[in-house]
Amino acid sequence: MTKKLLPLLVLAVLSATANAATPPNTLVVAQGLDDIVSLDPAEANELSSIQTVPSLYQRLVQPDRTNPEKITPILAESWQADAAAKTLTIKLKPDAKFASGNPLRPEDVIFSYTRAVTLNKSPAFILNVLGWDASNIESQLKKVDDHTLTLHWTADVSPSVALNILSTPIASIVDQKLVSANVKDNDFGNAWLKMHSAGSGAFKMRVYQPHQAIVLEANETAPGGAPKLKSIIIKNVPDPASRRLLIQQGDADVARDLGADQISALEGKSGVKVLSIPSAEQNYLVFNTGNSANPLLNNPAFWEASRWLVDYDGITKNLLKGQYFVHQSFLPVGLPGALEDNPFKFDPAKAKAILAKAGIKDAHFTLDVENKPPFITIAQSMQASFAQGGVKVDLLPAAGSQVYARVRAKQHQAAIRLWIPDYFDAHSNASAFAWNDGKSSTVAGLNGWKIPELNKATLAAVAEPDPAKRLGLYKKMQEELQHNSPYVFVDQGKTQIVVRDNVKGYQQGLNADMVWYDNVTK
Amino acid sequence: MPHLSTHVTRVLQGLLTLMLTLFGLLLITFALSAFSPVDRVLQIVGDHASQSTYDQVRHQLGLDQPLPVQFWHYVQNLAHGDLGTASATGQPVLQDLLHAFPATLELATLALIIGGLLGVIAGVLCARYAGTALDLTIRTLTLLGNSVPIFWLGLLMLALFYAKLQWSAGPGRLDDVWQFTVEPRTGFALVDTWLSGDRDAFRNAISHLVLPVLLLAYYSLASITRLTRSACLSEMNKEYILLARAKGAGEMTILLRHVLPNIRSTLLTVIALAYTSMLEGAVLTETVFSWPGIGRYLTTALFAGDTTAVMGGTLLIGVCFVLINNLTDLLVRATDPRVR
Repeated sequence: MTKKLLPLLVLAVLSATANAATPPNTLVVAQGLDDIVSLDPAEANELSSIQTVPSLYQRLVQPDRTNPEKITPILAESWQADAAAKTLTIKLKPDAKFASGNPLRPEDVIFSYTRAVTLNKSPAFILNVLGWDASNIESQLKKVDDHTLTLHWTADVSPSVALNILSTPIASIVDQKLVSANVKDNDFGNAWLKMHSAGSGAFKMRVYQPHQAIVLEANETAPGGAPKLKSIIIKNVPDPASRRLLIQQGDADVARDLGADQISALEGKSGVKVLSIPSAEQNYLVFNTGNSANPLLNNPAFWEASRWLVDYDGITKNLLKGQYFVHQSFLPVGLPGALEDNPFKFDPAKAKAILAKAGIKDAHFTLDVENKPPFITIAQSMQASFAQGGVKVDLLPAAGSQVYARVRAKQHQAAIRLWIPDYFDAHSNASAFAWNDGKSSTVAGLNGWKIPELNKATLAAVAEPDPAKRLGLYKKMQEELQHNSPYVFVDQGKTQIVVRDNVKGYQQGLNADMVWYDNVTK
Repeated sequence: MPHLSTHVTRVLQGLLTLMLTLFGLLLITFALSAFSPVDRVLQIVGDHASQSTYDQVRHQLGLDQPLPVQFWHYVQNLAHGDLGTASATGQPVLQDLLHAFPATLELATLALIIGGLLGVIAGVLCARYAGTALDLTIRTLTLLGNSVPIFWLGLLMLALFYAKLQWSAGPGRLDDVWQFTVEPRTGFALVDTWLSGDRDAFRNAISHLVLPVLLLAYYSLASITRLTRSACLSEMNKEYILLARAKGAGEMTILLRHVLPNIRSTLLTVIALAYTSMLEGAVLTETVFSWPGIGRYLTTALFAGDTTAVMGGTLLIGVCFVLINNLTDLLVRATDPRVR
């Protein structure tokens, strides 16, 4: 028996060679999925979930895919803004349906926003910008008729900002009837929506196996039209080297998050192409001005010298191999109002002169940094370049969560951090870098930077109804922060993903949530 | 009935040891998690979330309670069979573990069978030809298994057998065409694909298993070979072997008929140790081969600061460790009259 079985087994193994082909009509995406906490749009806040939610859900409005500065209707048919009354009157598309077959109603919109604000999960702060909270949300949303509703907000924000906020993933519209049937312990269906979908997106959830895969199935009745492929399999492949092998062999159609070396190795290889897509991700160095252990951190001359001690070109071109480019203001290139001027370069002599003039001697600080690229790469470069200006940098590398915790507890002296706007509006970044009310966990707040004038400027800009004037205000703020702040903005990223040659129609935009699979063919 | 009472006492002692070991394990894991610098709340809410969201999640997780209270709640729930909810997956830990464990068990068991068989054969051969070129070659080859980093070797194997030669399937347990069509009845890919009646799926499952199983088997080879060899050699110096030789028995006959049966307790212990280390130590293999097993589950949970999942997983491995050790003791007692 054994004699017969053994050769059979060997034959079976040898004959089951990789066939180097993904299933037809299915797009296989290889990426890391371990970051996902939830796929409920009211809770999704991690990169992988934010990229998935737009395939499952739609919002009332969304930045245009090709011209994101323009907001376009998706589930809304039209809207009317009243800046004075802080109100939007929204007409819904009359024929829009959820994947369940239920028609879209004003009640669904009211339910979606109410649950997102009341649940108060991690991305809720985005809707809080409108002044919405659990105590007032119900009074802000009114059904007018079967296809119309009004949205009111209490904060001093212009209608264009309100629309941009409603274009974020947390403002996705869920099917109230379907979700209500799955509510448990007054959780608004949160536990159920972590694993299932109830939207009107191009796809619906077939299977979600945490840490393994998300399988999406075409929603033939999607209001935006049925997608071109029948299904998408987003596989969790935690190791980037394995992702590279999968895409190279044709066992994946798309591979994300490959390192610079892996991208270089795949460039020019037959069967695959590397897409380089602008991204709004930025890296910056920040000094904790509230840390009294080191008086330098609160010294504007030291901030100024630091801007001349970063080897911007060396970091972006040599170390990060073109996956990032130099960018030195708080709005990323591509976002309306971004300042594209880069006035600083590596000049240790100039930095020394600034330090000497300010009477700063034996300058030193500790730098908290995540122990993975690109952060550790940037930090090591800074350690070397600051040394040339006479500034000693002690690196404190740690896991991401440890760095988050130290910054949140304001224990750091300086840190290298990443920022991605939460919505496609300048206020998203302005409210992070130039706003500190002493209570909120903004970047300025976490770094103890007291800025009453900039607070006023931030409020004035977000309330300004004239779009051109608004952008002018943000330009001024960027110039101010570029020269007089504890931030050194270093670079902006490009998303590099690898796709097989036969994959056509993949779209991705500047912000993290702008990932679209519905037009993909292969 | 003196025998029965001895047995009962022994079982009770065993159970008490098991309980104490598990309690100690729980206490240590809890302390490590509690004092770790990872902020579990931040892992869930991210660092952009408002303070009210942060406080809300902290309260939901019970992290605003004193540590002894948190531990007491955990033990209480455990007594009801509730291992808690993993914040990293949003699912009950028990459900996650039941999903991940068969994947590791399948990998480790197959690797143990291959590693155990080859290790014992290699060890016997080394003892038989001790000091010769064959002995040196086998020992060098097996020792290399412990010197080269496992993830590196795994990647090399993937690059060669999957990418270059295309002899085996790539990372994962099944190709995508089967991954979501084969019904997961037992959680073991080989069994589930066999039960599905789809021969291609079964072959695909074997193909996916080959590289990680061989890799893990190779890593257990060094210790099994070395210990088999030394146990054989020390046994071969005993008087009864000299007598057998004097009677004209061949070396191989002596090894197989006399030496091996006499060193079975050592072999069983070595193989059991290899098994437990595979169950807990398949982390890097599982990462490189995208194998959704317990090792990868625990690593992810650890990085996510998911205390509940880490404690659940550690407990499961601890239970396995204790069970395998006790089972080995029983086997040794049952098969070796000298230790009864």
